[in-house]
Amino acid sequence: MVLRLRTVVVLAGLLLGTTACASGARSSGTGKTIQLGAVFSLTGAGGVYGPQQRNGVQLAVDTINANGGINGAKIAIDIVDDGSDKAQAAQQTQRLIQDLKAVAIIGPTLSNSAVAAHPIAANAKVPMLAVSNTGIGIVGSGCTYCAGWIFRDSLGESVAFPTNIKTYADAKHPKTGVVLFPNDDKFSADGAAIVKDAAPANGIQLVDAIEFTKAETDLAPYVTRAVQKKPDVLFITSLGGIAAKIMSEARKQGFSGQFLGGNGFNTPAVSKQAGADGKGAQSASAWYIGNDFPANASFVKAYQAKFAAEPDQFAAQAYAGVQIVADAATRAKLGLVDAVKDRQAIRDALEKTSLPTVLGSFQFTPDHDVRQTIWVIAMDGNGGFTLVNSVKPS
Amino acid sequence: MRNDVQQLLNGLFLGSIYALFALGYTLVFGVLDVLNLAHSSVFTMGAVVSYSVVAIHGGPFWLAAVLGIAVSGGLGLVIEYASLRPLRRRAAPPITALVSTIGLALVLVSLIEQARGGALFGWLWRDGANSVRFPRGSVPEKTFRPFGLTLDVNKAAILVVTVVLVVALAWILRRSGAGRAMRAVAENPRAARYMGIDVDRVMAVTLVASSALAGLAGILYGLAISDISPYIGRDQLELRGLAVLVLGGMGSVVGSVVGGYLLAIAEVVALLTIGSNFRAAVAFGLLFVMLVVRPQGLFGAARPERS
Repeated sequence: MVLRLRTVVVLAGLLLGTTACASGARSSGTGKTIQLGAVFSLTGAGGVYGPQQRNGVQLAVDTINANGGINGAKIAIDIVDDGSDKAQAAQQTQRLIQDLKAVAIIGPTLSNSAVAAHPIAANAKVPMLAVSNTGIGIVGSGCTYCAGWIFRDSLGESVAFPTNIKTYADAKHPKTGVVLFPNDDKFSADGAAIVKDAAPANGIQLVDAIEFTKAETDLAPYVTRAVQKKPDVLFITSLGGIAAKIMSEARKQGFSGQFLGGNGFNTPAVSKQAGADGKGAQSASAWYIGNDFPANASFVKAYQAKFAAEPDQFAAQAYAGVQIVADAATRAKLGLVDAVKDRQAIRDALEKTSLPTVLGSFQFTPDHDVRQTIWVIAMDGNGGFTLVNSVKPS
Repeated sequence: MRNDVQQLLNGLFLGSIYALFALGYTLVFGVLDVLNLAHSSVFTMGAVVSYSVVAIHGGPFWLAAVLGIAVSGGLGLVIEYASLRPLRRRAAPPITALVSTIGLALVLVSLIEQARGGALFGWLWRDGANSVRFPRGSVPEKTFRPFGLTLDVNKAAILVVTVVLVVALAWILRRSGAGRAMRAVAENPRAARYMGIDVDRVMAVTLVASSALAGLAGILYGLAISDISPYIGRDQLELRGLAVLVLGGMGSVVGSVVGGYLLAIAEVVALLTIGSNFRAAVAFGLLFVMLVVRPQGLFGAARPERS
């Protein structure tokens, strides 16, 4: 009996010790913070997307911290505004690295700004995750400055647009198309270059490519030129409101064909502005609000509760961005003493990412690009979207 | 041929927008000898206020238009009292007035941009940097198709309003007492004061009229182009408005109208003949040539520096 009691005490002691050790290991970051940064366009032209990204990031950080943080450490994130300006994006990135010692940075909003901000992070050896840059050369072999430090969770136009075109071409077999795009914006110009390759590859003859600038007062003259070619499809590769303005003007001028677009279509604000004129306008998206798998359903519910608004693709990708960085930080077992070592550890862990996110099952390709299901969606004419098709990654 | 006619129509509508925007610019420059760069933000505010009345508060469009114009006119007084008159009193150099109006423009745009639902200015704007349009059915929307052409009733309205306003403005400036006072102040403010004209009052009235015109232009733009955002004045029209001002002759009402149509037609002709990516280059090349050949513009009189 005495032996048994002693055994119980020893076992209990061992168990307590083990538990204490285990909880000590789990809580190595207790009382510490993991400093992250985010550069978004909260004002200026990209202000169409930035505020939703800020909301997505803030929601993700709040959720993770409320659930105990990362190995006991809380996430602290500084979200800064680049004013949709390239130079300001670079300055803000520099500030997050130097002044705040951020171990990872998310952003910036616009591809145009990414080409200025990302080299700063790559040179400083800080992992930077693009959550809305869809242009060409953001990651992979086309990126001359990435040096293994830049990642992307935003579905690139070079994958999304051809998928969208193929989906429509397979279903409706259009013969001709015209592409309209502002030539003073990287995102839009990249999109047009992709269309010029992908349209003929899917049996659509591109009969005109019409360029204009973002600051055009009235797009009617360009739309007239496009409509007079009687195309089956109008490809619009532009940001935000421009696409909606083209749709409205084209319908006024009697165009009854199909609108196909890129990521610029994928926000309720654009769908709302286009209204009935945009009904059926089709794009490929990284995210679809109606997906009911648990990671997405809980995100949509929490976002609606916190912000009294519907999330959009940009909020979802930003939310996923924090999920991905937090997952990497968890696996990286950060020391939280030396930012240089922690940055390297997060970078290495990011490469091995494989987790369910609001975007669906997520991994990075060897080029640090996104590997996920593509959701082909269409505007519903009332500010929302319907799902046309989903395409699994090859 | 039909497409060329359609493009000509596009040019006329576009020219009307340019002209209507530049009218207010030119009025202030003519009388106050100041380039009011807050004009574009007042233009934006006209559109935003009227949108707010219709979309957020459910008011009828006619009331929205009246309030949009009234608020814009009121902003003219803000520009005069907050931005221009204090500098005039201190005989500050003209460049300070220019900078001061830029500052005011930034404040107005930020005020719209940062407004959120539930916040202090949530009653004015809730769409951040997004572009919006008047809700369907709340405003007149009709497109006619004579001879296969597209004739948008809202764009036609801009054309008609521009012509009516120019005729009315020309009449007021020539025939009415207020117009004569404006012209007297424009010619020589000191002499006008000696003649018993309340120069400060004339300047305030000019700014109210100019700003009300900007507000009206903003509302019509929002209607015709289906694009209302904090940036429509600054991004879409400010630069071209200045080009029209120089082209037509700084301070000339007729000049701003002719300049507006000329610039728009030049842009459309460039689109048709050379290509879309040379459109802006041709338009601003025209401006450059005008500055070299006739610096005072088409209808501007070469005048000595005003004391």
